[in-house]
Amino acid sequence: MKQNMEVRSGMSKNLIWRYLIIAVVLGWAIYSLIPTLQYERLSDKEKTALEEEGKLVDLESRIIKRGLDLQGGMHLILEVNVPQFVRKIADHQSRAYYDYMEKVDALYARDPEEDYLDMMLETANADSLRLSRYFPSEDRKTDNRSVVENLRKECEQAVVRAEEIIRNRIDQFGVAEPVIQLVGNKRIIVELAGIDDPQRAKDIIHNTALLEFVLLKDADYTQDIINRIDAAVKRITPGDISALDTAVVSNKKSSDKEISVSELLGLEEDGTASDSSVLVDENLALDKPFSALLRNLGWDIGVPAENYYAVNKILNDPEVVRILPNDLRILFSGKTQSMQTTEGKSVAFYTLYFVNREAGLTGEVVKEAKAELGSVSSEKMGQPIVNVRMDAEGTKTWARLTGANVDKRLAIVLDNKVQMAPRIENKIPNGRTLIEGFANLQEAQDIEIVLKAGALPAPIDIIEERTVGASLGADSVQRGVKSALIGLSLVALFIIIYYQGAGIIAIVTLILNIFFVLSILASLRATLTLPGIAGLVLTMGMAVDANVLIFERIREEYLKGKTVRSSVENGYSRALITIMDANLTTLITALVLWQYGSGPIRGFAVVLFWGIIFNFVSGYFISRTIFVSFTHGKKPLNKLSI
Amino acid sequence: MLQIFKKANYNIVDKRRLAFIVSVVVILAGVVSLFLQGLNFGIDFEGGAKMQIKFNTPVTAEELRAKFTVTDFGIPEIKSSGVNEYMITINASESVDTDEVLKSVLGTMDYTLLQVDKIGPKIGHEMRSNSFKAILIALILVLIYITVRFEFKFAVGAVIALAHDVLVTFAFFSFFQWEISMPVLAAFLTIVGYSLNDTIVVYDRIRENIKVHKGKPLKDVINLSINQSLSRTVITSLTTFMVVLILAIFGGQVLFGFSIAMVVGVIVGTYSSMFVAAPILIAWEHKFKEKEEKKA
Repeated sequence: MKQNMEVRSGMSKNLIWRYLIIAVVLGWAIYSLIPTLQYERLSDKEKTALEEEGKLVDLESRIIKRGLDLQGGMHLILEVNVPQFVRKIADHQSRAYYDYMEKVDALYARDPEEDYLDMMLETANADSLRLSRYFPSEDRKTDNRSVVENLRKECEQAVVRAEEIIRNRIDQFGVAEPVIQLVGNKRIIVELAGIDDPQRAKDIIHNTALLEFVLLKDADYTQDIINRIDAAVKRITPGDISALDTAVVSNKKSSDKEISVSELLGLEEDGTASDSSVLVDENLALDKPFSALLRNLGWDIGVPAENYYAVNKILNDPEVVRILPNDLRILFSGKTQSMQTTEGKSVAFYTLYFVNREAGLTGEVVKEAKAELGSVSSEKMGQPIVNVRMDAEGTKTWARLTGANVDKRLAIVLDNKVQMAPRIENKIPNGRTLIEGFANLQEAQDIEIVLKAGALPAPIDIIEERTVGASLGADSVQRGVKSALIGLSLVALFIIIYYQGAGIIAIVTLILNIFFVLSILASLRATLTLPGIAGLVLTMGMAVDANVLIFERIREEYLKGKTVRSSVENGYSRALITIMDANLTTLITALVLWQYGSGPIRGFAVVLFWGIIFNFVSGYFISRTIFVSFTHGKKPLNKLSI
Repeated sequence: MLQIFKKANYNIVDKRRLAFIVSVVVILAGVVSLFLQGLNFGIDFEGGAKMQIKFNTPVTAEELRAKFTVTDFGIPEIKSSGVNEYMITINASESVDTDEVLKSVLGTMDYTLLQVDKIGPKIGHEMRSNSFKAILIALILVLIYITVRFEFKFAVGAVIALAHDVLVTFAFFSFFQWEISMPVLAAFLTIVGYSLNDTIVVYDRIRENIKVHKGKPLKDVINLSINQSLSRTVITSLTTFMVVLILAIFGGQVLFGFSIAMVVGVIVGTYSSMFVAAPILIAWEHKFKEKEEKKA
């Protein structure tokens, strides 16, 4: 009894402190949630009004941020394509270089998780190859390790520059609060919320936007190369064209239109083509399997759209690449053009260009770019074009290049696709040019953006993409909230029926727990994701558990015949150790998830973590205070409702 | 006072052999299933593309499938996810250009993209190894924690119970070929935490009772402890079970994998804390005693 008196007086003094602490915590929680509540109630009109006053950004910075999976948006992980980047900076290319790179590629294909540069070093050392011969280095004697380390440095710098350029591009594109972040030394994360056209945003972000002005090879040279490719293809697959490549076969299946060449308006192939199909000329196929896939379009070499994959595959075949000269590049047009047959059918063609490897001029010289529709008086009337103006250096080179090659054809190449290939009529002295070949004005405007922001220093791949439409996001919020509410009501019903008065305390602390977790999310500017909502629901389960542990202990003590007060005291103090042990292990898993999880999983881990922390605050501390204020107050209870 | 168990005094410990048989049968069935059909790793871990598309004009899954037969992409998995709404999954070892797929297959159709997940195979494998690393690290940390807080034999019991839970859950996922995605993996880790929670509550009681009832055989102490914490175990499991079941029913497709893993995990975790974790202490004790007797 004496002991109980002590407990009582101690607790009563404590109670004031406890009330104070709870008041402070509650005050903080309400204060942090006010902006979110305000924001949720705003109509679109009021939002615009606030935006004009410049207050919206401030308000938005203090609310619970919704993850992309809840508000819709796009999450991308970009990675520098190291193999391509390395090729780009190689400054001397020979047969041995190609063999070497092919070998490294084969190794890399087998084990893509390994480091490409390490593989380069190992392979070079194993074959006692001097990398300084192919890659920029101080002199020929530089050892392989230094050359590779130099490549690695260049690669890392390229990623940093790429991040800047992507940031510029997105700024010009106009997305609110984009997340652009370097991860490790070759990845960039981009997160864009609430965009309408993910495809367009993706193009703007990851198109290299390398603009090149390249001279075309002349016709005789081109014909000679085609003959050589024909011979090479014949060597690979003697006799049977259908075995040549699956793309031809599958495309053949998919296209039921077999139009004979003679039906095509004015597009006569050399003699033999009289009775062949557009797809593959069976007669020509035996003798000239590559030519059989191509069509003569007057000035240009056409590739029927159906044959695109087949031609592309042949051109990338290692055997074919081997026989091609080093100073040649073979490029497709970016767009197809339609030709009418005599029967009025239209057939789509890509154009194939044989151009110099070395660009006469690149997009670095672009000073200004402007997308517009061709003016009424000009030849390009109504067509989307991009007007480009070059800097002083570029203007000089451009004048020299055009002056020296009058009457030759020049391809304007964007990201390895030929936009146009006009004949140079005069020397251009003023550093101006226009680019055509866009599907619509929007595409031209996007090119304007990327040309202004600059080309990416290295080719970049999208290795992860998660896009959520806004409607699905809204749907997810609704479902999450609905599940949480149903879950809460069921749990409340069950606990209150089972524990009666004490059950009400449990539910109050449970609701407080959720409230606190939301408050901390708002104060930390953390993001609430759909898995985060699941974490919230799970937190409810954990919060109930703490109270169940306590109440069961209190019941035990009470049934043993102890007083109300000492049952409560003992129940709480004995359950504390169990609650600690049980919650700390879950805390460990939450931390591990946070460390190793990606994206949405982190959202789950964050909520779980804070859910456990506040479980001690509300499930134990506040619950105990409420309980004690009933049992130790001025009119202490002498019966427990539990 | 409403009580589920009035003066609970069930002989749970002696049911451990039956429990052992049940567990072994389920795990064996799981292992057989693992060998026969493996686990259904989703694109998160395999790489590939998943698109949820709502069509604005009526279309059947058959019609969609037919559209894919004429392309190079292979026939993807097409599942209905609502009225005129489909989930198209393309598993690929090479990167798939989803834009290309959409353009060439659905070109002229009138549709809205609800969701696109596209994972390169490289990052998928990375995620897989990271995730297994995460589970392993979590297990080791927990083992250390319990060894510090209790005794080593408790830690062994807890970890065996945990391994049991994860194995049984895997067995279910293999047997029903539910997809293992990133959220499901998070659920596995949560199960680890949850099952431990249950186990530790029982262990706590055992530790306390060993001090109170000195001289009582361990078996009886353990049985007493399980009985004392029985109503807590059942009530907590019941409430948690309710919330995850509701998530599974109302949470929608995105959370389904997570919720169903949790539903299985809650049941298995509760079972294992009573029938696996605690009895292992007895088995350990028996071993230990036999050795001592031999020494003597």
